[in-house]
Amino acid sequence: MKEIKKNRNVGIIGVGQSVYSSHREEVNQPEMIHEAVVEALDDAGMTMADIDCVVHGNMELFEMVHQPDLWHTLGTGTLGRESLRVTTGGTTGATLVCAVDSLVASGLHDVVMAIGFEKLQEGHTTGGITNMADPLWTRKLQTGALTGMTATQIIEEFGEERAKKASMKYRITMDKHAMKNEKAHRRLGLEFDQADDMAANSPALVGELRLIHMCSQSDGACVMIFASEKKALEHCDQPAWIKDHVTVHREENFAIFGDAPVTMTHRVDAEKLFNRNGIKDPRQEIDMMEMYDPFSWWGLDWLREFLLLEGDEHLKMVENGEIAIDGEFPVNPSGGVIASNPIGATAMVRVAEAAMQIMGRAKEHQVAKEVNTALASGFGGTMWTVLVLLTKDAPRL
Amino acid sequence: MTTTTEDCFTIDGKLALPYQYFAGRTSSRFIISIRDDKKIMGLKCNTCDKVFVPPRSSCEVCFEDISENWVELSNTGVVEGFTIVRYEEPHQPVKPPYITALIKLDGADTSFAHIVKGMPLSQMKKGLRVEAMFAKKTTGTIMDIDHFRPIDQGPKFELGYPYDQLEIGMFASFTKTISETDVYLFAGISGDFNPMHLNEEFAKTTPMGTRIAHGALPQCLIAPVLGMKLPGLGTIALEITTRFKAPTYFGDTITATGEVIEKLDERQWVKMGLTFTNQKMEVVATGQALVIPPPAQ
Repeated sequence: MKEIKKNRNVGIIGVGQSVYSSHREEVNQPEMIHEAVVEALDDAGMTMADIDCVVHGNMELFEMVHQPDLWHTLGTGTLGRESLRVTTGGTTGATLVCAVDSLVASGLHDVVMAIGFEKLQEGHTTGGITNMADPLWTRKLQTGALTGMTATQIIEEFGEERAKKASMKYRITMDKHAMKNEKAHRRLGLEFDQADDMAANSPALVGELRLIHMCSQSDGACVMIFASEKKALEHCDQPAWIKDHVTVHREENFAIFGDAPVTMTHRVDAEKLFNRNGIKDPRQEIDMMEMYDPFSWWGLDWLREFLLLEGDEHLKMVENGEIAIDGEFPVNPSGGVIASNPIGATAMVRVAEAAMQIMGRAKEHQVAKEVNTALASGFGGTMWTVLVLLTKDAPRL
Repeated sequence: MTTTTEDCFTIDGKLALPYQYFAGRTSSRFIISIRDDKKIMGLKCNTCDKVFVPPRSSCEVCFEDISENWVELSNTGVVEGFTIVRYEEPHQPVKPPYITALIKLDGADTSFAHIVKGMPLSQMKKGLRVEAMFAKKTTGTIMDIDHFRPIDQGPKFELGYPYDQLEIGMFASFTKTISETDVYLFAGISGDFNPMHLNEEFAKTTPMGTRIAHGALPQCLIAPVLGMKLPGLGTIALEITTRFKAPTYFGDTITATGEVIEKLDERQWVKMGLTFTNQKMEVVATGQALVIPPPAQ
């Protein structure tokens, strides 16, 4: 395992989020982003004059706007500043974090603002996703996040009743978290005793993947401010430090008519990250996780992959309430992707929310336990995983 | 190596991508004031003192919220740049060829794009002054300004020479043949049915030997000179005096000439010398006129 070399530490010192909603008709794109920019600057106690560089990202094609970062200058304050645009599909938000970490750690910039946004109500998401399918590549079917295969596999492995119950328990836990997050888009106020009824009556999308299990389509923007160690400590009592991040992806060619084992990028990513950082028992050594969970079946399944669990440990974590906001290993106290999914921002929101937990700024949805180490994941097509590890103490270089 | 595509596949895409995006509250207010009040509004940044149109909620230079600083702009402006669209696409607002121009409205610091009509494509130019023409049937879009059209740059009427441009010696004339019809109409207009002008038998008994035109008929030919040529449109005649020197017979062609002979600086009035000649270059009358030239434009 090759060691990485880091020139200097990078801390997250400010987070801003617009309200997430299916309808943000009262603002255009730069106006919506502006909300989050202003909040992030305020959170960091900075003005635009303190920002050296702005890195902007969204899912290519989703708003049908060519080079949106140029138009968005009206709301981002980028005029006359260094700027980059990053777009890597669903992982865009997490890749933004990786890119900014590199910019600041390298010494190129001291303070960098990252902007992830999406206005899914606009544009043509299906056009963007369907164009990923190419009959001449191996990339035949992996077009977007609607797949019933994981549900089928979990049902096969653990039986229909237990699988469906666990999936709904995961879903309702997420809604209970979203109810505590004023920025969240879907806050349905679900109760655990509704699970069986919803599992049976929610419209089926693909196989046992039902509408109730599925993430939202949201409009929204997330903005984060990153600073070099010196600058971070000048502006912030408790930055969230970037310990490490690992990206793993592969071109997928789903074997839909066979049982070819799929090596999950999630597990490969986690193994690499934990090895590199000497983490032997992730469930004990990491305090909480913000997971990119496109729907509850995947959330359930990926717990096993990310935490390197065996057997039915991941189901037990959900069944026993371990992933709840007041549990031993809280997952998505923000409500996760199922509650809010402005795609270009979604993966960044995971990192931002994990950072807020470390900084103690998550207000109503601050987890009960102390958070010294937090994990955030990003996910996108095809089978693209990013893991970011955050710490309360500045890493020793 | 061949680069032909004989044995290479082409994969046709089949996606039509309809989509929408939201103008937001601020831009919607801009559209509403165009639709309902026929007013184009801009937003002002009080820090850098710039007025933006189309509207934006924040100034990207000063990075502050300007979404409430509405200012009413003029519906007139100047073309800062333009292009002529000649190809045809289904999404175009009007049928090509048409002119898309960047128009900087009076009172704004930024320009915005719209269509200019009413200008021949070959004569379209930067710097053209244009005014907004609003749509009769509104759609709640930017097309509630239907188009911009050129404002006639010149004054509505081109007045004659003002006092400062008149010089001693400038002259102008008007020529017309006096027909029997003119004389009979003039008799009707003036009520002067003197047989000298209308009764050939009576006229034979006079020293003229035949009917002649009323004296005022050739005299009035100076009116088109003063009023339409020199000084020209906008001239006020104060006084015209004429001395008749020879008769004007039916069929004579009379030339009335006015010449600037004196400029009265104190009053800014002009004295004109008048000469009336016929086709034989005989002087039929002379005179003077005192006029007020038109104001400078």
